[in-house]
Amino acid sequence: MDKFKNSSFVKKVGFNRVVLFGVLILMYVVFAMLAPTFLQYSRILSALNYAYFLGFLAFGVTFVIATGGIDFSIGPVMFAAALISGQLLTQSKLPLVLCFLISILVGLVFGALNGYLVAYWGLPSFITSMASMQIAKGLGSVFTKTQSVSWPQSDAANGWYRYLVRVDVGSVGIPVGLIILIVAAVIFSTILTKTKVGRYICCLGSNKEATRLSGVDVKKYEMIAYIICGLCAGIAAIFYVGAYTTVQPGLGDTYNNEAIASCVMGGTSMSGGLASILGSFIGTMVIALIQEGILAMGFQKDYQYVITGIILLFAVYADIRSRRRKN
Amino acid sequence: MTMQGIDKSFPGVHALDHVNLELKKGEVHALMGENGAGKSTLMKVLTGIYIKDEGTITYEGKEAEFSNPKDAQEAGIVIVHQELNMMGHLTVAQNIFIGREIMKGKMIDDAQMNIEAKKLFDMLHIDIDPTEKMSKLTVGKQQMCEIAKAISHKAKVIVFDEPSAALTEEEIAQLFKIIRDLREKQLGIIYISHRMDEIKVITDRVTVMRDGGYVGTLVTKDCTKDDIINMMVGRVIYEEPKTKSMVKPGAPVVLKVDHLKAGKMVQDVSFELHRGEILGFSGLMGAGRTETARALFGADPKEAGEVYVNGEKVDIKSPIDAVKYGIGYLSEDRKRFGIVTAKSVAENTTLACLDDYMSGIFIDKKKENEISQKFVDDLSTKTPSVDQQVVNLSGGNQQKVVIAKWLCKNCDILIFDEPTRGIDVGAKSEIYHLMSELAASGKSIIMISSEMAEILRMSDRVVIMCEGKKTGEIGIEEATQEKIMQAATLRN
Repeated sequence: MDKFKNSSFVKKVGFNRVVLFGVLILMYVVFAMLAPTFLQYSRILSALNYAYFLGFLAFGVTFVIATGGIDFSIGPVMFAAALISGQLLTQSKLPLVLCFLISILVGLVFGALNGYLVAYWGLPSFITSMASMQIAKGLGSVFTKTQSVSWPQSDAANGWYRYLVRVDVGSVGIPVGLIILIVAAVIFSTILTKTKVGRYICCLGSNKEATRLSGVDVKKYEMIAYIICGLCAGIAAIFYVGAYTTVQPGLGDTYNNEAIASCVMGGTSMSGGLASILGSFIGTMVIALIQEGILAMGFQKDYQYVITGIILLFAVYADIRSRRRKN
Repeated sequence: MTMQGIDKSFPGVHALDHVNLELKKGEVHALMGENGAGKSTLMKVLTGIYIKDEGTITYEGKEAEFSNPKDAQEAGIVIVHQELNMMGHLTVAQNIFIGREIMKGKMIDDAQMNIEAKKLFDMLHIDIDPTEKMSKLTVGKQQMCEIAKAISHKAKVIVFDEPSAALTEEEIAQLFKIIRDLREKQLGIIYISHRMDEIKVITDRVTVMRDGGYVGTLVTKDCTKDDIINMMVGRVIYEEPKTKSMVKPGAPVVLKVDHLKAGKMVQDVSFELHRGEILGFSGLMGAGRTETARALFGADPKEAGEVYVNGEKVDIKSPIDAVKYGIGYLSEDRKRFGIVTAKSVAENTTLACLDDYMSGIFIDKKKENEISQKFVDDLSTKTPSVDQQVVNLSGGNQQKVVIAKWLCKNCDILIFDEPTRGIDVGAKSEIYHLMSELAASGKSIIMISSEMAEILRMSDRVVIMCEGKKTGEIGIEEATQEKIMQAATLRN
């Protein structure tokens, strides 16, 4: 066991990630045994649909958690972005690309708002993001007059965006979204580990005062983390409608917990400083697999909430325990 | 009450070496000594917070054993702490009766508690409304509530740990009135303070401690201030104190601080620092040395005063500015303010100067590792690799990583705040050696230290502070422990 733990590959990837990947495989096997339909290719595509938007949410919130903060607004912000841009596309007939940019802009505005209030006004991120979650929910509803918004199907005009998620070659669906998500994971992982922004975000998350006393503009970098998170929520909106077409106002908060659970499972520490995009990626896959597995077994989605809640508790417990042992 | 031959060791430290203390009924007994002399440890043994290794406590004619604070409290020994333990949101009466509320059936009887509290205050001739919220009171009044609480515990011995540190003149006068009152009532009082004048006014006898040992007990009215100071500093020959300044004559002033003000702890502080100089900052706990350094560095806001770096007036609003002007600050509290514990040696080394180790938008990991390895070698930091998390290093090696951070930034002015606190002897002399080398190479150092030996060994010049004011400045040639202690206890 120790030999395995100390091998250079495991060290590089992180023991936690290796274990989590094992859990992912194990879960796939278990679901396949419990629900015979689970092995169908369409199930995999369906699970991946769930993973695309959730993955972006998880990547974004990884940066915020790395600062030692939290963002509970990402799900509703994603919905607000999808509602506002969808309304502009279907009702105001704005060009599709412009609507995507507006979606991203909505995410950025919420991220900047959260970040400014947390970093410069010193508000607790918990409450701040709770408040902006409410604002995002309300704003989406107001904008669409509480109507749901349906984005165009792939064969309709402006429907090409659905190829971001899936392209059918003959009768086989190619999960394009997965390729995009992997590319995004590489980019965000590079930002987190190889650039100044990522370095300072992790340092201030580990010890803000020491980082400040080293002459780093901690407020600026803390705010940047929230902006990245908002950006990701805006992008996630595109992948949500790419997979599910219809967006209803007043929802989205369940995705907060799932994204946060993905991060913490992947070894991003709730107390800040330690973060892994790869971990968040695998965590996202675990959550997506659970949701699909539960559907395949014929249960309602409510069971998924229960399971995600329990997983989150366990992941946080494991995080705290591993830190306690270190001290 | 007598404490006889009290001995207490912690891993690596012999904190109390057979200390004696005798307290009579109706006596105010001062306990004095430098920082770290063991006063607090002794009081913690008395009040049951620490268990003694050896020695006996005789209390009211019987041998007593207090294994926890509750035992001591029930026996009537109470301590009034320097930092008050009060719940600001609760009323005065609620605070006094916390943990033993007066009940009326299942409900708390606030009215009765107010009446009882009022009775206590009347007895002590204190004018405080028991229904007032604790946070609304001045520190002095809060302290009087603590005293009232102690009395309500039927205390027979009250320990005051630096009670006057946060009080105004008027409040001190009132405190003394209360203490005299308590003395009339035949209580025994132990009074810990650094303020020589107060000791003369209020106490009957003085016990002096030094380096965990018992030095002696004097009757206050028969001794002079100098007698007490001599006992506090002792005749210990310290290791190679510096006898002459190593600063080259005519070395330019690199840092000039003019009338710096920041809150109560930094009142009108001015000093100059020359190239290649080690300027010692001496003083007792709470003298305002760290606060001065933090205000200068921009870590805390300053109210007034000017700072000149190399003759040029600079406006330092935050640590970002300070670092830009080549000032580095090594905090007294490494864990909180120095190192980023969960990060590696390399990441900590380049924290202040990451801009120099970038290629484009990416961090040049190879270059970063090289420079970090160079500092690990130069400072002989003991770490398996530069990828090691700093949290796994020993205190001395963590300190070296913090030093590397500022050297890497090439800071010309370094502020070392208690550079050897919590570091073992071997690492200590390495740090000393390093500081001397840095000064010789033209860096200028401000060294804040509570250790007299460290000040005398390292400094070229010594600035002494007391209660937020600069009370002395002595060249190392003239500096003696007595002179420094004299200035450090100068209250004006």
